[in-house]
Amino acid sequence: MTGASHATRGISTRTTRRVRIFFATICGLLLASPLFYMVAGSLMSNTQLSVQPPQVIPSSFHFANYSDAFSGMTQVIQPRSFLNSVIFTVGAVGLQWVLCISGGLVIAKMRFRSRNLITAMFAISLFIPLITTLIPTFIVTYELRMINTYPGLILPIAAQTGFGTLLFRQYISQMPEELFDAARIDGANWWTIFRRLAVPLAKPATAAYFAISVLTAWNMYLWPLVAAEGGSLQVLTQTLAVVGTTGQGEVTPQNVIFASVVIVTLPMILVFIAVQRAFMRGLTGSGVE
Amino acid sequence: MTQVTNPPLVSVRGPAAPLPSRTSRRDGRAAALLIGPNLLMFTVFVVVPIVGGLALSFTTWDITNGFPKWVGLANYHRMFADPLVWQAVETTLKFIVFGVVPTIAISLGLAMLINFKFRFVSVVRSLYLIPAAMSFAASAVVWRYIFLDGPGYGVLDYVISRFGVTPPDWLASQSWALPALDIITVWLSLPTATILYLAALQRIPDSVIEAATLDGAGPLRRARFIVWPGVRYMTVLVAIIALLSFTNGSFDLVNILTKGDPIYATQTLVYYIFVNGFSYGFFGYAAALSVLQIALVGGILVVLRLLSKLLNR
Repeated sequence: MTGASHATRGISTRTTRRVRIFFATICGLLLASPLFYMVAGSLMSNTQLSVQPPQVIPSSFHFANYSDAFSGMTQVIQPRSFLNSVIFTVGAVGLQWVLCISGGLVIAKMRFRSRNLITAMFAISLFIPLITTLIPTFIVTYELRMINTYPGLILPIAAQTGFGTLLFRQYISQMPEELFDAARIDGANWWTIFRRLAVPLAKPATAAYFAISVLTAWNMYLWPLVAAEGGSLQVLTQTLAVVGTTGQGEVTPQNVIFASVVIVTLPMILVFIAVQRAFMRGLTGSGVE
Repeated sequence: MTQVTNPPLVSVRGPAAPLPSRTSRRDGRAAALLIGPNLLMFTVFVVVPIVGGLALSFTTWDITNGFPKWVGLANYHRMFADPLVWQAVETTLKFIVFGVVPTIAISLGLAMLINFKFRFVSVVRSLYLIPAAMSFAASAVVWRYIFLDGPGYGVLDYVISRFGVTPPDWLASQSWALPALDIITVWLSLPTATILYLAALQRIPDSVIEAATLDGAGPLRRARFIVWPGVRYMTVLVAIIALLSFTNGSFDLVNILTKGDPIYATQTLVYYIFVNGFSYGFFGYAAALSVLQIALVGGILVVLRLLSKLLNR
């Protein structure tokens, strides 16, 4: 091969690279465009929203949409719903984490009968989504007199421990056996091992678990819909569903609706960007570079 | 080449090495205490509903008034005679197939596109991943306005008509409402699927691809003989996660955006279950339909498993 062909090849690789970066960016912008549309629309007047061709960058900014979302005739978001979403997310994920990490330790490192049976039950439950057991779950909660209460909202979701328990079992079973034996020889009981060994060492798994579970809980619509019929327990996804339902949305102006969606979604987008790596690790079992 | 060093997500296989034997009785009591709360909650709110749902399907029950009444197979007879059930099954299968297959194809393409390093690569990747933070409810609201019909309204219609194509009526159209819901769910499922494929792609050593390139293999041959064999094991997981996401989407989006309309075109089985249970109060019948839904998802999983065996042979 001559030097000239080497040089041509170098240039063509560089061009290929640039083309690839260009396409990667264009595709990314395209995928994120509904989000840009949402944010841009939340800052426009309704006249700006309906002009053709659509404005990409608002010609003027209307921050009042955000205060309108909280008050007056156009109110979409009740502070109470915001609080309920926080209580539901923190309660369900916090409680579920304790259940999952302790259960994961037991299945990974302790000897007892029916270990395989329990593991299989957790695994099977992953393939039976709540929607298919919604009616009996509702009946159980109803019979426990928990419909329209915080426990009724939180406990049935916290009890969906299949994914978390298997995640922690997977992570903890990869920890060296000698570590646990040494702790046992030093006289530590399992409770101490749980608090002093498993919880601190499983921090990466905990981060991955939180990244996935917090998103799931904050975004959950189905269970709150049936567990909290009354207004006082309403969460934010229900609020959005009301304005999103065809027909009812016409009452509230589009720009205020968009501002409301941003208000509800922004906390999760910020959380997501912050924990992106943990989220990927939880999903793939390893990092993505 | 070792494909799976870290098994993805969760694995149900046992730990690699058998546990050393200990005094199992002490472990037994401590184990029971540590896992007890988990199992108690799991039993009450997961196992009991699964088993109870099956029992419930043989009864009729108005929960505000007395006990369930055993009716044998009556709910199942009714189910087989109900044309709306089979229409709902067809709608569900269409929704899943026309959603999961594009999700797999597009996410693999996207993962290959962004699997290289450049400046701002993490910023660009964030663009791909951020939709994962959106709920079905929030997406439904935004996409309702994107899909808005009529002159001078929806953004998507504007873009389509710029290409000289008459846009369909989307959510109000008998034939386009379901594809519209598929588009939203594909959009929401892509981030997770892309991450999974990206992780699989990054386990293919660069040296293998370089060697193939030096041997004169073009992009298509590399995709066929190196990339695909390296990522196909991940395809099953991507399909399963997408399947579950589409199952959830087939309720959330339908309930918020279409309520099964127009003329049952978007009435998925899970939505029909919900309507029967919570609008009509037919708890027993809804439970029988749930058994059908579980069988449907189970059936798809079996098909996936057979497919994966074929693929990995």
